[in-house]
Amino acid sequence: MSELDRRDFLKLVGVGAGAAATACAEPVEKLVPYVEQPEAITPGIAVWYASTCTECPAACGLHVRTREGRPIKLEGNPDHPINQGKLCGRGQASLGRTYLPDRYPQPMVRGAGGSLEPSTWDDAMAQLAAKLDSARGRTWILGGTVGPSLGGVIDQFAVAAGANRIVYEPFAHEALRKGTEAVFGVASLPIFDPSQADLIIDLGSDFLSTGLSPTENARQYADARNVNTDKTGGTRMISFGPRLNFTTTSADQWIPAKAGSEAAIAFALAKAVVAAKGTPEGVDAAGIQRFLSGANMAQAATAAGLEPSELSAVAEALLHAKNPVILPPGVAYTGSQATSTVAAVMLANALLGAVGKSLVVPPATGTADAASFADLKVLVAAMKAGRVDVLLIHDSNPVYSLPPELGFTEALGKVGTVVSFASLKDETADSAGLVLPDHTPMESWGDSAPRPGIRSIVQPTVRPLLDTRALGDSLLELGRGLGGAMAEGSFHKVVENNWSDVNWRQALAQGGVFSEVVIEPVGISGDFAGLGYSASSASGKGDFALVAFPHHFLGDGRGAALPWLQEIPDPVTKLQWNSWVEMSFESAKRLDVGFGDVVEVETPSGKIEASVFPRGGIRDDTIAVPIGQGHSVGLYASMEGEGEHGGWIHGPIGAEGQPGVARGANVIALLPATEDEMGGRVWGGAQASVTKTGRFRRLALSQWTDNQRGRELAQSTSLAELAGHGSDHGGGHGAHHDEPPHTFTAAYDADPNQPYRWGMVIDNDRCNGCSACVAACYVENNIPVVGETQAIQHRDMAWIRIERYVGDGDLEGGAARRPVPNREKLGELDIRYIPMPCQQCGAAPCEAVCPTLATYHNKEGLNGMVYNRCAGTRYCANNCVYKVRRFNYFDYGNENFPGMLGLMLNPDVTVRQQGVMEKCTFCVQRIEGARQPAKDEGREIRDGEVKTACQQACPTHAITFGNLRDDASKVVEAGNHPERSYHLLQELNTRPAITYLAQVTRDENEGNH
Amino acid sequence: MAPPATAVADSLASPERPRDSRANIDIMAPTHGVQWPYFLALGAAVLGVLQALAVLLYQTYVGLGVAGYQQPVFWGVYIVTFVFWIGIGHAGTLISAILFLFRAKWRNAVNRGAEALTVFAVITAALFPILHLGRIWKLYFLIPYPNQRSLWVNFKSPLLWDVFAISTYASISIMFFYVGLIPDIAIARDRATGVKKAIYTVLALGWQGTGPQWKAHSRSVLHLSGLATPLVLSVHSIVSWDFAMSIVPGWHATIFAPYFVAGAVFGGFAMVINILIPVRRIFRLERYLTDYHFENMSRFILLTSTICGYAYAAEYFIAWYSGVEYEQTSFWLRAFGPYWVSTWCMITFNVIFPQLLWIKKLRTNLPFLFVLCLFINLGMWFERYVIIITSLSREYISGSWGLYVISPVELSVLAGSFCWFSMWFLLFLKVFPVIAITEVKELEIHARDHGGAH
Repeated sequence: MSELDRRDFLKLVGVGAGAAATACAEPVEKLVPYVEQPEAITPGIAVWYASTCTECPAACGLHVRTREGRPIKLEGNPDHPINQGKLCGRGQASLGRTYLPDRYPQPMVRGAGGSLEPSTWDDAMAQLAAKLDSARGRTWILGGTVGPSLGGVIDQFAVAAGANRIVYEPFAHEALRKGTEAVFGVASLPIFDPSQADLIIDLGSDFLSTGLSPTENARQYADARNVNTDKTGGTRMISFGPRLNFTTTSADQWIPAKAGSEAAIAFALAKAVVAAKGTPEGVDAAGIQRFLSGANMAQAATAAGLEPSELSAVAEALLHAKNPVILPPGVAYTGSQATSTVAAVMLANALLGAVGKSLVVPPATGTADAASFADLKVLVAAMKAGRVDVLLIHDSNPVYSLPPELGFTEALGKVGTVVSFASLKDETADSAGLVLPDHTPMESWGDSAPRPGIRSIVQPTVRPLLDTRALGDSLLELGRGLGGAMAEGSFHKVVENNWSDVNWRQALAQGGVFSEVVIEPVGISGDFAGLGYSASSASGKGDFALVAFPHHFLGDGRGAALPWLQEIPDPVTKLQWNSWVEMSFESAKRLDVGFGDVVEVETPSGKIEASVFPRGGIRDDTIAVPIGQGHSVGLYASMEGEGEHGGWIHGPIGAEGQPGVARGANVIALLPATEDEMGGRVWGGAQASVTKTGRFRRLALSQWTDNQRGRELAQSTSLAELAGHGSDHGGGHGAHHDEPPHTFTAAYDADPNQPYRWGMVIDNDRCNGCSACVAACYVENNIPVVGETQAIQHRDMAWIRIERYVGDGDLEGGAARRPVPNREKLGELDIRYIPMPCQQCGAAPCEAVCPTLATYHNKEGLNGMVYNRCAGTRYCANNCVYKVRRFNYFDYGNENFPGMLGLMLNPDVTVRQQGVMEKCTFCVQRIEGARQPAKDEGREIRDGEVKTACQQACPTHAITFGNLRDDASKVVEAGNHPERSYHLLQELNTRPAITYLAQVTRDENEGNH
Repeated sequence: MAPPATAVADSLASPERPRDSRANIDIMAPTHGVQWPYFLALGAAVLGVLQALAVLLYQTYVGLGVAGYQQPVFWGVYIVTFVFWIGIGHAGTLISAILFLFRAKWRNAVNRGAEALTVFAVITAALFPILHLGRIWKLYFLIPYPNQRSLWVNFKSPLLWDVFAISTYASISIMFFYVGLIPDIAIARDRATGVKKAIYTVLALGWQGTGPQWKAHSRSVLHLSGLATPLVLSVHSIVSWDFAMSIVPGWHATIFAPYFVAGAVFGGFAMVINILIPVRRIFRLERYLTDYHFENMSRFILLTSTICGYAYAAEYFIAWYSGVEYEQTSFWLRAFGPYWVSTWCMITFNVIFPQLLWIKKLRTNLPFLFVLCLFINLGMWFERYVIIITSLSREYISGSWGLYVISPVELSVLAGSFCWFSMWFLLFLKVFPVIAITEVKELEIHARDHGGAH
């Protein structure tokens, strides 16, 4: 009877579901096979194209993997000298720009009703051409930095249209350029190479996260600290800053200096350096003395809230190091004396011998550089005065990224015609009168010349998906219509012609032309006019110094449209999807607020509301808010799509889609529209007051505690222990078991009659937490993004996550319903990152409990997962000790790839259905991809032939993957460090295939050689 | 202790119809006529089932995300409620089979109700592992059936053992229930007319009360008792192994099987009392369900409550004594972590409150017993909640710790399960005698013949 009843029940369910399914059957579509197969496309075989990443100015080389004409994955170009085959999370996710539902499908014209309405290219272009013709001299072009070819076309167009061109980047690094110019007479951005330094003094640059070339720098920094080859532990870093940021996490010492004291510290250090090293021949010593006259070690210590001895110890270390370098403050700490600060830093660097080695000053590139903030003010003044008839905006979102105090948005109203070339919806395009959508980078031609000797090509890898037109082509046509002397042919031809000096096809295949160019050394010319240090008072009267810092993934806000960058937790706070206000526990207590309580942050420039994230790693006198959120336009950037991608039910916490509602708050609203001594934009230095609102808005926090409770999940060892290993092991602070219980050989956990047991080694000492692997995994494995509502419910689908712990932990805490990470302490650094993919256990707890054998041990030692066989009992996930299994609570596979996003899916990986479990499989599709050619050639898969997506992306080479049965393989070699290697939760005898290498604490005293 | 002698004489008197008796009339009385409260209750139960069904259709269509699951708590109220109902289903078989084998005659008055409760509780329980599946429509994957693709199930998985344990238990319970019913169905048949009579005739399997029939009947009851007795122990042991076989701190414990069985009997008896007290009152069956029965059941509750208390203490002791931090933390946070309310409810309701049953007066105080048993049922539900949710929320990787919050959908299904159970029980009350007439008679004849000296 019971059986019968169950069946009856199921029938009932089946009838209901069946009825619902048939009710919304889709119209029949016919599949048409290729009649004539296009050349170079073999169904099932990926075609790779070289291109260039345009997400940030670093211009990393790309290899775009395309399948059947669709780009599906971005990887680093191994031939490209900057990123050398690696790619950061932002780069990985940028692929999605082509497929986002947010794209403008065709030209849009603002209709009579005030809304943007679809139009045609002919109409829109004709309309614009007419306006341009009458607006000669009153046309302005505002846009981000572009490659030389496009830049050339824009300049030609500007001449043809009688237009003024302003290159606008929110993070223009004006101070860095001007400060460098002041010292060396060359207005360029120095190229930093951490591997050439043995001591880095970081004044808040955050170079590993949002610096000028983070992927490259991360690699160089990790290489410079390779404990396997350098027993001293390599390069040391001392990091200053009021907040424990991403780069500081990787430092050896954190000096929690007050926000706004960077200038004082830089000058004090520069003065100490000048005093010790003297000024070289032929340099205006008096000028330098005058420039440094405001500096004072004691006063700098006071300004920074430090003991003078702490600062002088840093100066001492600086003078004793062989190859020290000081890094000027990054965007977050660009204050009103930013240029002077950079100048002081560069002066010290020159005297310390860093320039030409760890800091190379390339020749100035001239007009392609971003304009200064002062130039923007000129534009806004012109707009306000009604002297701008046509404003063309490309590759930037000034409505979002300019401080409201500047009045850009209001001024837009006085412009005759605002034209946006945005391909994705954003605030600026939303307020434009005409949108002429550009191609996305995956559809575009272009080029980039990030530094001398490196020229890189952007080539299209897919036919334009929508009715868009390349900006270059639009401008060429408009310019010709205006009778201007425009370049010949299409924009594609323009790019090709600009590369006529090299073999075009070869350059295309290679991704560009890369040559070693000796950069002429620069000497100190020392023109410090208008620069110098004076103790300044912060603006505003609030209790807190406001630090607006660029979000690790969202950057200046351009990443917010990409759902992966929203969902992958910020590496430092582990927060997802929204804005937060970081403050110390002490401050939170004082304000009587806790995690998630909404506070109002107010400065003289404006106010915002956001939820509090209390943490230990921030000064009591400081609050910090990430830049990048607060968009009111965009499916993912704003709240428009929230709820839409969690299935059509949104869970108990969820809200319906809310178009026009901002996601989080735009901290730029709090910043003054002021500039530094040389006209650069100021991001730091504001004082803010914080008041409690009494409301609560939960933040999506992916990891609730950073306490590993002495469980030795993320282990750490010291240099002394490493050196003393074998003779005096066990003297450390519990980093290792003396006798690991359940010793085993992972290589045995597979069928003995075949050659493979796949395994991985993860070097936690090289991992800096950047989460590029996570992004790569999302894209490679078709992992759905679940949205904020679901993320708040801890339902993210990441197959690999980076756990972040502080120290060894203790048995405190865990009782709160929703704890927050609370173990960071001011000035202390023992942050441990541990990447956590599936451990592919030899004795996997998940396998034994699956009633349907949907998860099983395959012959090569992998924990296979047969999605089709999964009934969804979820016992495997309960029994997984590493908690790496993820469940499809909703029909994420269907619902969460809206619109064209489905085209981005990797055809080699199954899209999972509602109700099934999924997990990391060591990119089994890549293993299978390598197996066929190996079989054809009658050989085994070679070492290094299979790279997992996470390994491939990792900028620091922290991940090694390969065959554990091949004694000559890199993975066996990489794991062969008994003094550091361990298996996670080894005492449970799960026999994991991943070997971790413990992080190494470099004793801070040793840093001061 | 025996039923009062006056009742015996009364019940055997045959005032109206030949071959009828007071017991027949009294006990069959609820199956006749229209009682508005009854139909109101039944209507409410059916409505409750329908709303849960609607919610389940919605959940199946949309996905399990509408339930409160959050990483790392992948099992929630559905499994909690599954274990709860399976536990409830234990008292019936225990009363019918084990007490039958031990010749505890007092069981005769309560065994029918308890058996019915078992059948309906198992039917209710069996729904939950199904409706908690991510893909209900792939349920047949869990059953080993021959197929061309040689897909087989994993006999190492405790969930598969569950499939067998529950289906076996369900079939034995139903058999037992039905075989016991046959003589009473025949009584009903004799008293019924029209369509009802036809149905009862079919169900009565031609029972005439002849000697050979009685012989066959008592033999089958005996044999079924023999078969069912080990099942009482095995079913909940196997259910407990769903947890004990795992590696989750708080689940991985050898005490689980006896602990769960004792808990099941405990909860089952509480539910029997919760049901029989109102049934007795509403249908005026005081004559047959006496203090004597309730006192015996109270004693069982006291015994099993004490075993549960011991198991709780043993769990904590072993967690501490093992020296394993994962276990220690898991148990510490059970009592003082986010779910402390559930834990303390469980201890208070299951261990502390039942200790009042040491007092004889309270053992026969039915209002007190009724309230106490409500608390026990609540406490037993919390016991499963504590075991499942708290253990999962605080596992090995502290960075992956999480929280589970019950969702409205789950609450609605939970309520629906009670309605589903009540619906069957109410239908049973209307169709079959809630007290085994023949066994009561047997008991009474026995009492008469032996002058009450048992």
